[in-house]
Amino acid sequence: MKIVSDMTALLTGMWITWQHIFRRPVTIQYPEEKRTPYPRYRARIVLTRDPDGGERCVACQLCSAACPVDCISMQSAEAADGRRYAAWFRINFSRCIFCGLCAEACPTLAIQMTPDFEICKRDIMELLYEKEDLLIDGCGKSHDYNFYRHAGIGVTQPRGAGPKEKPPVDVRGLLP
Amino acid sequence: MPKLIIDSISVEVADGTTVLEAAQSVDIPIPHFCWHPALGKAGACRVCAVKLVDGPVKGIQMSCMLPAQDGMVVSTTDPEAVAMRRHVIEWLMINHPHDCPVCDAGGECQLQEFTIAGGHGIRRYTGSKRTHVNQDLGPFIAHEMNRCIQCYRCVRFYQEYAGGTDFGVMGSAGKVYFGRFQDGQLESPFSGNLVDLCPTGVFTDKTARFRARYWDYEMAPSVCQGCSLGCNTTPVARYRELLKTTARQNKAVNGWFICDRGRFANNEVNDPQRPRTPLVDNRESSRDEALDALLLRIAQIEEQYGTGSIAIVGSPRLALEGALLLPLLAQCCSAGALCYFTSQEESDTTLFLTGLLSAERSASQQDVRKSDCIVICGCDPLQEAPMLALAVRQAWRNGGVVYVIGDGIDLPCTFTTVASLDAVPLADAKQPVLICSAANRPDLLAATLKQQTHLKLAVLFPEANSFGAAQLAMAQGAISLERAVASGTIKGIISVEADIPPQLLAGIPFVAALDWRLTEAVRTAQVFLPTTAWVEMDGTAINHEGRAQRFKKVMHPGLPLRGLGPAVHPPHIHRSTPPGGDPQPAWQIVALIIAGLSGERIAEPFSERWKRLRELEAESEGVMTHDL
Repeated sequence: MKIVSDMTALLTGMWITWQHIFRRPVTIQYPEEKRTPYPRYRARIVLTRDPDGGERCVACQLCSAACPVDCISMQSAEAADGRRYAAWFRINFSRCIFCGLCAEACPTLAIQMTPDFEICKRDIMELLYEKEDLLIDGCGKSHDYNFYRHAGIGVTQPRGAGPKEKPPVDVRGLLP
Repeated sequence: MPKLIIDSISVEVADGTTVLEAAQSVDIPIPHFCWHPALGKAGACRVCAVKLVDGPVKGIQMSCMLPAQDGMVVSTTDPEAVAMRRHVIEWLMINHPHDCPVCDAGGECQLQEFTIAGGHGIRRYTGSKRTHVNQDLGPFIAHEMNRCIQCYRCVRFYQEYAGGTDFGVMGSAGKVYFGRFQDGQLESPFSGNLVDLCPTGVFTDKTARFRARYWDYEMAPSVCQGCSLGCNTTPVARYRELLKTTARQNKAVNGWFICDRGRFANNEVNDPQRPRTPLVDNRESSRDEALDALLLRIAQIEEQYGTGSIAIVGSPRLALEGALLLPLLAQCCSAGALCYFTSQEESDTTLFLTGLLSAERSASQQDVRKSDCIVICGCDPLQEAPMLALAVRQAWRNGGVVYVIGDGIDLPCTFTTVASLDAVPLADAKQPVLICSAANRPDLLAATLKQQTHLKLAVLFPEANSFGAAQLAMAQGAISLERAVASGTIKGIISVEADIPPQLLAGIPFVAALDWRLTEAVRTAQVFLPTTAWVEMDGTAINHEGRAQRFKKVMHPGLPLRGLGPAVHPPHIHRSTPPGGDPQPAWQIVALIIAGLSGERIAEPFSERWKRLRELEAESEGVMTHDL
C-alpha cells in the first residue's frame, strides 16, 4: 500500500522536526557569543621567541618554501654576534590558507599557529603582516627549545661549549 | 677498451676510466664527495661504494678508485652496497652540526642530498660532536669548519690545481683542519672556487651571506664580462639584486672554474648610483620623451653642421646584438664616422691581432691546458685574464714547458724566462701556444706565426666582446673615435656603452649616451637612455678566440630591494614595473632610434652572415665565428 508508506515517511519526518523544536539549540550567536577553539586550532600565525628572549626565526626560508600559496616572504641578515635573523618578514594573510605547513617546516619552532581566527579587515592591505605584527613576546607552545644552543656555531655560548659538544680541536696539538 | 656491465647496462669505456665515470656515462648516479671531474679521485669519503658481483674483482669497492676492467659486473643497488653507503653517511653525520637552517649551503648541499637519499634520518650515536674554531678568510669567503666532512676537495684544488700555497690541511686523524696557518685573506686569485667545490657548507660566499636560498634563486646560463676569455658562469639574483656568480662548466673554455675577479663582480650591477632613468638635459623623463628629444637633436645637429657631423660610437664591451645594429644607425643618421674603438692604438692592435686569429690559429683555454709548450709574450695573464694563467698551470702540471718573455710576470707554475721568441724551441713542440695581449708589439709576432704553422695563438683582449667589435670594425671600415674627432667634423656623438675619455668629449656640442655604467659620456650627455647590464638581457659575446657565446637574462632590471630606502620592510605599493626598471637592452634602444629615423622596425639583430647565431644555445660550447 503506497499511501501507508508515504504517510509513515511524512509523519516520521514531522516527528523528528518536533523533537528538535524542544531540544537546546546548537547555534552560537557569534559574535555576541564566542566559542573557545582548541589549542591546536590553525589560525593567525605568530613568530615566537626562545626562552632567553631572542628571536627564534633565523629566516632560513623553509616556511616560504613549504607555503603552497606563496604568502610568506622574508630577508635574512646577520647580527654582530653571528646570529642569523629576519631583517624583514612578511605574511600576506589575505592569501594564507592556514594549512600549517609553515609551522610544520620550521626547524627552530619560531613560526606557530594560534587559535585567533578573527583577523578580518576592511582594507585588504591591512592583512599584510610584517615582522613587528607577527613577533610575540613568548615561546608559544614550546617552552624550552633554543635552536642556537644546539647549532654549534657559537651564538648563545662559545663554540664547543654547547650540550653534546667537545671543546674546539687544538689543530697544532700532536696528541692523537 | 674495457667492457663492463653496470646495473644490467653494458658499457664500453676508454682505458683508465673509473667505474664511477663509467656509471655516470650511462646516467647511473653514484653518490660521491671527494671525487670531482676536474680534481680526480682521493678515496677519502668512502661514499661511492658499489658491489662487484662478478669479474676480476669482487665484493664492495670504491667506484671512484677502481679502474674499469673487462668483464666487471657492477651493482649499485645491491643491498650490501646500499647499506655500506648508508652507514658511511651516518658516520659522516656524526660530527656534522645541526645548523642547516643558518647555513648558506642549505638547499644546495651535496651532503644534505646524499643524507636524504641514503635514508639516514634519525641520529643513533649519542656521543658529543667535534668542534673547530673558524678562521677569517677575508671579505669573500666565510669559513665554518664544524661542517667539514674531510673530502679534501678544497686543498686538492687550492694547492694542486691552482698552485696556492697559503691554504692547506693541518692536524691528524679526527682533528684534520682545512685552513690557513693564520687568519687572513686567501691569496690565490681562484679562491672563490672553494665555494663551488665544497660539497657542504665549510666555504660559503661571504658577499652573498644569508641572502637567499637555492630554490628562490633567479639563475640563467651566462658568460663572464670581466675579460675577453668568456668563461661560462651562472649568476644568481634575488629581489632584483645580483647576489653571486658561480662557475658553469664549458670544457672548451673555462673547464669547471672561474677566477675571483669574475666571481666577485656584483657591485657594479647592484650599484645604487647606477643610472637607471632616462635623462634629457639632466632632467628625468620617460623613455619616449628621451627618444623624441634624441631624434630632434640629431636633426638639429645635421641642420646646423651638415650631414656627416655625427659619430656613432660602439665599444668592445657592447654585446654583439647592439654592435651589429650600429652600421644601420650610422646609415640612418648619415653619420660621419662609425667607431667601435675610442683609442687609435687599441683599434690598430686589436684589428691586427684579430686578423691573425684564424679558426686554426686561435687557441682556446682547452688548447692551452693541452699544450706542451707555452710562450707568454710580454703580457701578464694572472693580471689580465687569470683563468688563462690557471690553464697554463694545467699544461705545466701535464708536463708542458712554459716560457716567458718579459719581466715582472708571475705565474702559478715554474717557467723559464727567455729574451726573445727565437730562444724558444717552437719547432720541436707538438702543440705550442703563444699567449700575447693587445699591449704587445704585434708586428714581431707575424713573422714567427708565418714560420711556425702549428703554433696556436691566444690573445688577451681587454674587453668581453673585443673580438666581435674588431670583426665588425674591419667589415664596416670603422675608424677610431680619436681619429674621427681629430678630423674636426664631428659635432655630435651617440655613445652606445662606450668608455670615452673626457678629452674626446670636450669640444663636442652634442653627446647622447646609452649605457648602464656611470661613464664620462653619461655624465656629459644631453640625452641619456639607460641600458641593461649583461645579467639583465639575452645577448652574445665573442671571446678572445672568436667563439660566440650566448648569455641569458638572469633578472629584471630594477633598483635592488635592499636599496629602497630606510624602511624596515619593502613598501606596500602595487606597481607593474619596479622602481629603476626602465633600462632596455642596448640593441633594442638602437632599434627604436633606427625606427624613429627611418621607420624600419628591427625585430631580429642577426642578419646576413650572422644568421646562424640566432639559434645559438647558451648551454652549448659556442660557435666559432671565423667562417660565418
